[in-house]
Amino acid sequence: MFSNIFQGFATVMSAGPLLGIVLGVCVGIVFGAIPGISAIMAIAIILPLTFYVDPIVGITMLLAVYKAGIYGGSISAILINTPGAAASFLTSLDGHALARSGKAGKALCMSLYASVTGEMLATLVLIFVAAPISLISLQAGPIEKVWLLVFAFTVVGSMTGESVPRGLLSCCLGMMFAMVGMSSLTGAVRLTFGIPDLMSGFTFLPVLIGVLVMPEVIDAVRRRKTPHQDLVLKVSDDPADSRVSLREYRSVLGTIIKSSGIGTVIGALPGLGSSAAAFLAYGEAKRSSKNPEEFGKGSLHGIAAAESSNNAVCGSSMIPMLTLSIPGDDVTALLMGAFLIHGITPGPTIFYEHTDVIYAIFAGFLLVDLFLLVIARFGFPLWMRVASVPPYFIFPCVTVFAVVGAFTANQSLSDVMILMVFTLLGYGMRLVGLNPAAFIIGFILMPLLEQNLDQAVSIVGGDYLRMLASPIGWIFIGLSVLSVVSAIRSNRRGRRKAAALAAAE
Amino acid sequence: MTRRHLDVILCSVLIVAGVLILTLDGLAQGGVETQLGSMLMPRVVASLIILFSLMIGLPSLRGILQDRPLLPTELIEAEGLDGVVIYIAIFTAYWWALPILGFLVATPAVILAVAVLLGGRSWMPILAMSLITPTIIFYGCRELIRVYLPEWSF
Repeated sequence: MFSNIFQGFATVMSAGPLLGIVLGVCVGIVFGAIPGISAIMAIAIILPLTFYVDPIVGITMLLAVYKAGIYGGSISAILINTPGAAASFLTSLDGHALARSGKAGKALCMSLYASVTGEMLATLVLIFVAAPISLISLQAGPIEKVWLLVFAFTVVGSMTGESVPRGLLSCCLGMMFAMVGMSSLTGAVRLTFGIPDLMSGFTFLPVLIGVLVMPEVIDAVRRRKTPHQDLVLKVSDDPADSRVSLREYRSVLGTIIKSSGIGTVIGALPGLGSSAAAFLAYGEAKRSSKNPEEFGKGSLHGIAAAESSNNAVCGSSMIPMLTLSIPGDDVTALLMGAFLIHGITPGPTIFYEHTDVIYAIFAGFLLVDLFLLVIARFGFPLWMRVASVPPYFIFPCVTVFAVVGAFTANQSLSDVMILMVFTLLGYGMRLVGLNPAAFIIGFILMPLLEQNLDQAVSIVGGDYLRMLASPIGWIFIGLSVLSVVSAIRSNRRGRRKAAALAAAE
Repeated sequence: MTRRHLDVILCSVLIVAGVLILTLDGLAQGGVETQLGSMLMPRVVASLIILFSLMIGLPSLRGILQDRPLLPTELIEAEGLDGVVIYIAIFTAYWWALPILGFLVATPAVILAVAVLLGGRSWMPILAMSLITPTIIFYGCRELIRVYLPEWSF
C-alpha cells in the first residue's frame, strides 16, 4: 500500500494535477464563500470542464472544489453571519460573535486550521480503510450486490427525505428516469412514449445540474427581496486577535480530533452528511466542555468542533462510494458520476483495475489539504471581499454556466431542454419535500442494480429462492429493514417533539 | 395552496403514471429476450411509486377532508413566486433564442435580464459582466475544449 501511495504522490506532483488542485481550491473557496452557492453547485459547474482532461487531473480538481467549498462556507458564516453551506450554520454562531468583537482573523484562522486538520485525519482513515474494505467486498457476487444496492436505496431513501415515504419515492423517481431509453442489457427501447430524442435516455449532466443546482438559483430568485448582508468588519488593533497561536491550537486539538472522529464515522454512513456531523460534534464538544456557556458566544472550541467535523465528512464519505459503489450523499453521487464519466467504475475492483489512478487521487486528497491551507490563509483579504458579492452578479453567471454545462455533454440543445425540465422537476421536488440527492442516487445506481440482477438471475436459473441463500445477502436485507424501521421511529419521535412544542406554545 | 394540496395532486399524477406503466403494452420495443424481460424493473419501480404515493397522498387527503391544522412544514409561501415564473420565462426564451441569435447575442441579454430580476441596478458592472462573461465562455469553449456553442444563424 505504501509503495502505491508514494507512486500516487509521484504521479500527482506534476504540472497538470497541481494546477487542477490550485484552480479547484480557488473555485471551491469562492463558491463556498458566496451565500446561496454550495460546493455541489461548484462541482456541477466545473464537472463539464473535467471531461477534457486526464482523470487524475479532473477528479482531483473536483475533490479540491468539494473540500475547499465546504471550508469556504465558513467564511461568509463568520464574516456576514450567512452560512455559505448548511453545515457552516454552527460556525456562524461562534465565528460571527468573534468577528463582531474584532477577532474575525482569529475565527477565520481557527476555522481553517480545524477544517484542514479534520480533512487530513479523515483522508488518512480513507486511505488506510478503503482498500481493506474493498478486499472484503470483493467476495460479494451479483446476488450479494443486488441486496447491497437494495440496502443502498433504502438507507439513502429513508435517511435523506423529509419522511421515509418521501425519501423512498424520490429514490424510485430517480430509478424510473434512469430506465428511460435504450436498455444496456437487452437493447430494448423503454418508456420513450415515441419521442426519438429520448432513445438514448436522459443525459446525466443536465439531469444533475437541473435537479441539484438550478433549484438553488430559483430559490435565490424567490428570495431576491431579502436584503443582502454587507460586510462591515471591525478589526482589532491587537495583532494577536487576528491569528491563532500554537497554544490556542493545542488547547483545541483534543476537540478537533474528537470531532474529526465523529465526522469521519458520520461521513462513512450513507445518507447523513456534513450538517448532521457538525451538529453532533458541536453538541458533544459543548457537553464535554468546562465552559459550555461560552458556546455560541465566540468559543474557539465551538468553531473547531463544527469545522473539523463537517470537513472530516469530505474524506470519509468517499469510503462507501469507493468500496461498495454506494454514494452516501448528493456530493458523492455527483463525484461517482464524474468517476463513471472518466471510465472508472467506483467499487471494490477500483483498487486493482485503476491502482495508479486511485492512489494518485488519494495523494491529491492530501495535497489539496496543504494547498487549501496555504491558499486560504494568504488569500483572506480576497475571500473576505468575495463573501459579500451581491447575488445579482453571481446567479446570472450560474445560469449561463449551467446551460453551457448541459450543452457540452453532447453539444446538443436537447440537453438544454432536459436541463429546463429537470430544473422544474427539482424545484417541484423541493416544494413537496422530496429529496433531490435520493433522486440522483436512484438515477445513478439503477443501471448497476439492473445489471447485477440480470447476472444474479442467470446464476440462480429458475430457482429464485437461491437469491435468499447468501448470508451476506441476509445481512444487507437485515440492514435495509433496520434502516427503514429506525428512520420511521426517529421521524415519529421528531413529529411527537414538534407536536409537544406546538402544544406548549 | 398548501403542501397537502400539492401532495394530493402530485400523488394522483404519479399513481396514474404508475398504473399506465403497469398496464400499457408496447412501452418497451425491440431488444433481446432475457429471463427478466425489459419491463420487469420499470414495473417493480412503478409499483413502489404507487405504494409510496399512496403513503404520502392519503394522509394529506385525510388532512384536507378533516380540516386539520397545518404544520409549519406544510405551508408554502407564495412570496417571490412571480419572480420564479419570470425566471423560467427568461430561461425558455434563452433556449428558444440560442439557435437563432447564437450564444454571443442571446447570453448578454439573459445575464442582464436575470441580474435586473435579482435587483441589480449597478448598470456599468452588470453591462460589463454581461458582455465579458459570454465572450470568455464562447472562445474558451471553442479553443480549449472544442465545444462549439450555437452561433448566429441568419
